[in-house]
Amino acid sequence: MHMLDGLNIINSLPLAALDVGHHLYWRLGNLQLHGQVFLTSWFVIGLLLIASIAATRNVQRIPRGIQNLMEYALEFIRDLTKNQIGEKEYRPWVPFIGTLFLFIFVSNWSGALLPWKLIHLPSGELAAPTNDINTTVALALLTSLAYFYAGFRKRGLGYLAKYVQPTPILLPINILEDFTKPLSLSFRLFGNILADELVVGVLVLLVPFIIPMPVMLLGLFTSAIQALVFATLAAVYIGEAIEGHGEHEEEH
Amino acid sequence: MIPQWTLLLATAAVEEAEKGKLFDFDATLPLMAIQFVILVAILNKLFYTPLGKVLDDRDEYIRGGLGNAKARLAEAEELTKKYEAELATTRREAQAVIATAKAEAQQIAAGQLAETQQAAQAQREQAQQEIDKQKQAAFAALEPQVEALSHQILTKLLGAELVK
Repeated sequence: MHMLDGLNIINSLPLAALDVGHHLYWRLGNLQLHGQVFLTSWFVIGLLLIASIAATRNVQRIPRGIQNLMEYALEFIRDLTKNQIGEKEYRPWVPFIGTLFLFIFVSNWSGALLPWKLIHLPSGELAAPTNDINTTVALALLTSLAYFYAGFRKRGLGYLAKYVQPTPILLPINILEDFTKPLSLSFRLFGNILADELVVGVLVLLVPFIIPMPVMLLGLFTSAIQALVFATLAAVYIGEAIEGHGEHEEEH
Repeated sequence: MIPQWTLLLATAAVEEAEKGKLFDFDATLPLMAIQFVILVAILNKLFYTPLGKVLDDRDEYIRGGLGNAKARLAEAEELTKKYEAELATTRREAQAVIATAKAEAQQIAAGQLAETQQAAQAQREQAQQEIDKQKQAAFAALEPQVEALSHQILTKLLGAELVK
């Protein structure tokens, strides 16, 4: 009871309020959706689409302005993918890894930089789409599907041989890995972004002036790093599935 | 008051999580996945393919330009070598020409000098001969006078009677 009183005091504060676990529910038939996640994700997608169209509208050999920026991004993504998957196989995976990186990065930074809270929703609040466990799990499961697909396409049923390598004793651990990979991917991203927003929220609540600035900057840094980590790990998993443990070790 | 808030805040967050709202899985998950796959497809068309093509084309262009430049550089170096060789032969030829010309000139100069000296010698000899001739002529002209003059001197000295 005492706790609930405290909650009410906090909610009545005008400057900032923490709002964890409240969602703007939409109904689609008998499906339930988190509206605020979709709203911000559409904003992020729109931003990416506008940037892509602006960059490719009038491509030139000597890039300028937005084309230069997007080429830099693309080269960065290509390098990342090439380093993890290898020169031979990386090209078809650039769009997937790249979109993972761009979507997470823009989502995180939009959550950290844009004052979403100024837009009032009937329930819940706008925040980075990666702030919601559904988004991160969706991305992590897509990554799992991607590396299964990559493994089976490259090596057929031989891909399953990796579960009994180097010895069949490790079979349970190898199977467990397929579950821990998406779990760690999604929870790492979700936890970092949510924790960052909570820390900033708490600090703003306590000292709504100057003091939260370093933490906000740290939040920007973390957000960028988390996007990089997610994309890199996804590329590593795909690269692993394509190379295979056995062959990989024989090469060395 | 403030420390109390933070405590309450933490407990509040935990309480919210316990309600299952924080890990609230619903249709957002599959729809987000579908949305993301569509985004990948669209960005592939709009962003990765065209800009990737630009990057590859530029790589190709730069590599081609580099190859071209290398070939041209090699060509230029070859030409330089050729021209240097030509220059060397030409210089050698020129020196040979100069040497022959110098030798010829010296020969001509020597010949002319000798000729001139000969001519001068001849002229001198001629002049000497003429002088000698004139001297002799003069001596010959003076010979009769000598007779008369010596007779006169004699006459003067000894008197006219004795000379007879």
